[in-house]
Amino acid sequence: MALPLTDNKKKKKKKWQTYAVLFILPSFLLYLLFVIVPTFSSLYLSFTSWDGVSSDIRFIGFNNFVEIWNSERVHNALKNTLFMAVVLVLLENIVALALAMLVDQVRWFRNLFRSVFYFPVLLSGIVMGFVWTIILNYNFGVINQLLDMIGLSSLKADWLGNPDFAMLSIILSTVWKSAGYYMIIYLAGLQGIPQELAEAANIDGANRWQQFLHITFPLLAGAMTVCIVLSMIGSLKIFDQIAVMTDGGPGFETETLTYIIYKVGFGELRQGFGTALAQVLFLLILIVTIIQVKFLRKREVQL
Amino acid sequence: MLKKSMTQLFVLVLAFTLVLTACGANNVGNGNTGNKNEGTTPESTTPAKEEAKQVEFTIGYATGDPATKKAVADSIKAFTDANPNIKIVDVSEGTSSSYLDWLKTKDAVGEFPDLVEMRDTEIFAKAGKIAELPSDLTDLFSKTPEVNGKVYNAPITFNAPQGIIYSKKAYANAGITELPKTYGEFLEAQEKLKATGITPIVVGGKDIFHMGFWLNKFLIDEVYVKDGDWNSKRTAKTVSFTDAGPVQAMTDYKELFTKYVDKGWLSTADNQTASILVSGKAAQLFSGPWMFTQIKEADPSFEFGYYALPDRAGGINVIGLPSPAGWTLSAEAAKDADKTEAMKSFIRFFFSKEQYSQYLKAANGIPSTKEEVIYEATEQMQEVLKIMADPNVKKSLAINNWWGENQIPPQFRNWFYKLMQDLVLKDGNVAEYMGKADVEYDTQVKANKQ
Repeated sequence: MALPLTDNKKKKKKKWQTYAVLFILPSFLLYLLFVIVPTFSSLYLSFTSWDGVSSDIRFIGFNNFVEIWNSERVHNALKNTLFMAVVLVLLENIVALALAMLVDQVRWFRNLFRSVFYFPVLLSGIVMGFVWTIILNYNFGVINQLLDMIGLSSLKADWLGNPDFAMLSIILSTVWKSAGYYMIIYLAGLQGIPQELAEAANIDGANRWQQFLHITFPLLAGAMTVCIVLSMIGSLKIFDQIAVMTDGGPGFETETLTYIIYKVGFGELRQGFGTALAQVLFLLILIVTIIQVKFLRKREVQL
Repeated sequence: MLKKSMTQLFVLVLAFTLVLTACGANNVGNGNTGNKNEGTTPESTTPAKEEAKQVEFTIGYATGDPATKKAVADSIKAFTDANPNIKIVDVSEGTSSSYLDWLKTKDAVGEFPDLVEMRDTEIFAKAGKIAELPSDLTDLFSKTPEVNGKVYNAPITFNAPQGIIYSKKAYANAGITELPKTYGEFLEAQEKLKATGITPIVVGGKDIFHMGFWLNKFLIDEVYVKDGDWNSKRTAKTVSFTDAGPVQAMTDYKELFTKYVDKGWLSTADNQTASILVSGKAAQLFSGPWMFTQIKEADPSFEFGYYALPDRAGGINVIGLPSPAGWTLSAEAAKDADKTEAMKSFIRFFFSKEQYSQYLKAANGIPSTKEEVIYEATEQMQEVLKIMADPNVKKSLAINNWWGENQIPPQFRNWFYKLMQDLVLKDGNVAEYMGKADVEYDTQVKANKQ
């Protein structure tokens, strides 16, 4: 049972609370102004036909959402978004985990490897996109030049212009950029696993794969939840790479929901429709994240 | 090659449309130097005492073509050097998105330029973002297209025709001694080029605007020269993309792109096309005169020619009608008398004989002023000017450059160009794809009416 506070202590507590509110206030006001207010105003805008330029904002009810429901282009973007998200989550996490285990076990140049694998994370999506666009260019790109040099010209392809490869190229370059980030989270998880467990398993005769499957993997569940949720959200919001590398093309082959939101909102002067699409994406991310967290939390092991 | 320098003659370049329409031309001078203007409004006779007043305005323009970008930047510098009391803040940026996207983003963040190169006049006029061009400036130009009865733009240049820019060496190697006189002959030439092992045509399809060069070539031949009001009829649903004309246009496009275009066309940017052409990887490029400078800079020794691509019957149809585009005052800035005066001074300076000729030379532009402008034109540019002056050449516009009743939904252009990429990629049925275009067009018209 808590003891009653003296007047002096009460005053002190009140004073601290006032300080706390004063410290929080600037951030809260900025958050209110730049996040909360736009969020609610965008909810309203999604029911309008606003073009983003004029002051004429007309309420059109659910028309934008009906169009989203019927639009072949949106369906295609949704399909691309989900495909990209699933493949990216799998690849990013597999590669990140493999890198983390490699870096964790390597004896020499450990810090060098960590830095090298983490370095692409520091690049912005735009810069990364430009770099890979040059590498993958059909006429001047390094990959096709190499294929030419080693006499495999028949394997040359338009990596960003051919619908069979465009999506794959974006996925691989994104994995290259972001795997280092998840590697750090997995590495922290790996270093939190007690050494004794591995030693005990060794004595019991477990091989490396068995140790990974029955000790490392279950004990990394916490890190895995974080990585999978973060990479899923990141993948559903992927934009920079597409804008720079393919512009949603060839044709409509790499258009995703975030990209189409930007395109219709800014490029096609349909801010109302774009905002409605953003609401759909928000709902999609919310649902996927809730399901993921619920499912992944179940398998987390507490030491 | 040795004749190249000889071909670079000083040519008297007439503003061709001026030839037809320039009646009552005035001696319109540079506002800075106080030359006489037709109008005697207070703005045009800037008193000396105002020159000392410090004024600042922002300027924004399309930076896609490096030569044009530099030419505008040079004009700004020359102007501010001559008018130290006026500061021009250049807010133009290189961007991977389209110019309209960039401009709209600028508007969204409250940085809409005070003086802006406007290309989508009707949209911004409707939104009340731009002001009418001051009447004492309209007399500078031989033609000033109107939007809803109002003039908003000081046309930087008139629309330039696109044509085939070809490697003379590649043509010689393929045994092409005479330039094609019909589209059929052009296709025969492609076969000859292909037989020599060179890629006949390079296309910068990664930039969606570049797709428009070819698509509009075929649309103009098969649709717009026959009916300049086709767009308004499409809006009224009295014509269709599945009609014989548009289907024939896109069938020709599909055939050409399937057989003769560089395999990497979808990942090639517009600014890479010059390099591919001069490197000898491709023999031809379909583009406008703004590419001449880029090609020269990529390889000064590269020998190239230019010709307008004929239609099946041998007729020449090109982009060349004026459209409402050019320097435009923002509505906000126009409220400020000092800014307005400074922007007017800049416009007069930009179109002054000496300054404008330098701009035209760098950008290979078609002059829009009433006043005769002289500049050094290359051999290729002379051909362009000949085409523009030829009364037998039919002038038209790209699908998205029409205005008034003929304006298409602003979002349709890019969508249509992407659909046409898809048509080639998936070897689709032209009529089926054009049916999709009809559905999308109607959806967008309906959405815009809401």
